[in-house]
Amino acid sequence: MQPPDASRLDRSAERLAAKLAESTTRRSFLGRVGAAALAVAGGSAVAAAVKPDEADAFHLCGHIWTTGSCPSPNPPHSRIDRKGYPLHPSSGRRVDNLGRFVNASGYPVDAAGNRLRGPDGALLPAAPRTRVCEDWTREQKGLRDLRTQGSWFRCCGGQIRKIVDCCSFSRRRINGDASLVGYCWGGRRVYCIMYYETGLPC
Amino acid sequence: MLETFTPAVCGSRKRQIVAQSLFAAAAVATAAALGLVLGLAGALLGAERAVLAAAALALLAAAREAGLLRVPLPQARRQVPERWRFELPLPVWATGYGAGLGAGVFTFQPVSTFWVACAGALALASPLTGALCLSLYGAGRAFMVVWPRRRADDPTAAVERIVGKRGALVRANVLALLACGLLLAAAPAAGGATRIARDAYDPTFDARVLAYGTQRGEVVVRPPGEPNIVFPDASHPSIDGRYLAYRDSQGIRVVRWRNGTEVRRISTSGATLPALDWPRIAFVRKGDRKNRIVVRDLRTNRSDVEASAGGSVDLGRPSLHRGRLAWRTASRSLTRIFVKRLSTGSRRTVAYSKIALLGNPSVRGRRIAWTEARFGVSRLKLAWGSGSGRTVETVRSRTRSYWTTAIGRGRIYSTRWTFGSGAADLYKTSF
Repeated sequence: MQPPDASRLDRSAERLAAKLAESTTRRSFLGRVGAAALAVAGGSAVAAAVKPDEADAFHLCGHIWTTGSCPSPNPPHSRIDRKGYPLHPSSGRRVDNLGRFVNASGYPVDAAGNRLRGPDGALLPAAPRTRVCEDWTREQKGLRDLRTQGSWFRCCGGQIRKIVDCCSFSRRRINGDASLVGYCWGGRRVYCIMYYETGLPC
Repeated sequence: MLETFTPAVCGSRKRQIVAQSLFAAAAVATAAALGLVLGLAGALLGAERAVLAAAALALLAAAREAGLLRVPLPQARRQVPERWRFELPLPVWATGYGAGLGAGVFTFQPVSTFWVACAGALALASPLTGALCLSLYGAGRAFMVVWPRRRADDPTAAVERIVGKRGALVRANVLALLACGLLLAAAPAAGGATRIARDAYDPTFDARVLAYGTQRGEVVVRPPGEPNIVFPDASHPSIDGRYLAYRDSQGIRVVRWRNGTEVRRISTSGATLPALDWPRIAFVRKGDRKNRIVVRDLRTNRSDVEASAGGSVDLGRPSLHRGRLAWRTASRSLTRIFVKRLSTGSRRTVAYSKIALLGNPSVRGRRIAWTEARFGVSRLKLAWGSGSGRTVETVRSRTRSYWTTAIGRGRIYSTRWTFGSGAADLYKTSF
């Protein structure tokens, strides 16, 4: 017997998941409750309350078969901080829009924290460091109505990862196909996703 | 020489394979070493001149191979020394033969193509790329040793078969040389970037004269067809006609570049990054709270602040030409490129971005060039009049990006630099 074609299975499952999500209006209740709990309490008690499942990666851990990542300095790892600004995917350090480590004042630094110099020997000025959803995606995709809205949680690498939706009124998502309602509200749909590492063990 | 690598000479099949492997390795390595040396020489000479020389040589070789010209080839009319295989151990003579043939210059050459390949490696002006390309010549030499064995017949018979097709081979060689010559001749005008100086940055161009800063702390002026003029302890040059402005340890100095006579000096505290449009000069005055772009008339000494920004906003290197001033502002949330007409005071935003880093504008007449850096990609942009700008060239790299620019006649001079090392080279791109 021929083994099943894995990519065909993946596509079928993706289509099914998209259809289900499109036809559902969940109003992001669970995501918002989870976020509020995290913000207020913190700690392992919240980890238990959110009850994340251990998730495997499709394009990033915690995100399987569905909407693609928002454009960011380290695609497809659109890791953000609490305010939606880009972070380095593995180290979690601040990066500017060119993907360079930056210090608290926004100046580019090397791995040891020393300020970088240009070819003339002068210290490099700060480059923009802007929000992945409201600035990056807006400028790259030409959408003016993007908002960071819903979120959900998964267990990745032993800690809770918050998957965050970047939402738009657009009926097309970043993948190019029909967008899903997901955890967005107010008529918006998921355009692309980002993630935030909570640091809470799971 | 081919019959040397038969079992009759090398003994067992195993010894034959060893001999062929050593021959191939030596041929490829020697050819690569030759390419490395030529690429290095090209880099020292300047690729711009080398490309045109290589194109001329390829066309000359095509004419020679087609029988239109009778040009003698510089070559040693010899074959590999036969006595080596009687006197030396197999690993030594097999390696020696490979090295001798891979180098190309020690043996007889039936066609001139080898010298065109050498000229091409010189024109690449990159040691590693030159080595890679010329190693294919060594691989070709090695192939001719291995190939007859795979056909399982007499190697000399294989060569004789090739000789029988000499007419077709010569015609194919002529066509290849012709195509090579035409492509090389068109390369400088085809929009591809040509490196024109190493360890150099901050280009400035006017009236066919190019000047730039070097990472050794000098300013070099390159008048066409004349030797370079070097100003030590100098950086950030800007040239306009017979005048050159640059920064030194005491501020900004304006000189006549042909003889170095000082014309003016600006010792204002924090004055840097001059842009000369005689008799006006624009420069950045850095302050604790504000950075300003000041334009001074060097005849009347009147100064006007044409742009200012908070201390955390970078103004970059301004550019001034025929009363049009261009500069950029870069903050943590926005970068913009501006052009201001000094006569009317009207200011226009040429480009802005919240995600890319725009910078290094240069203005010439109604044209303006600037750079746009994003993660993993940086672009050289050019706009005319009030247009939005088009991409002239793109560098896709996470470590290399554009720095400063200068517009010349039909070309843009730009600096490309490497983030980690800070190494910078100067390139020329046609538009």
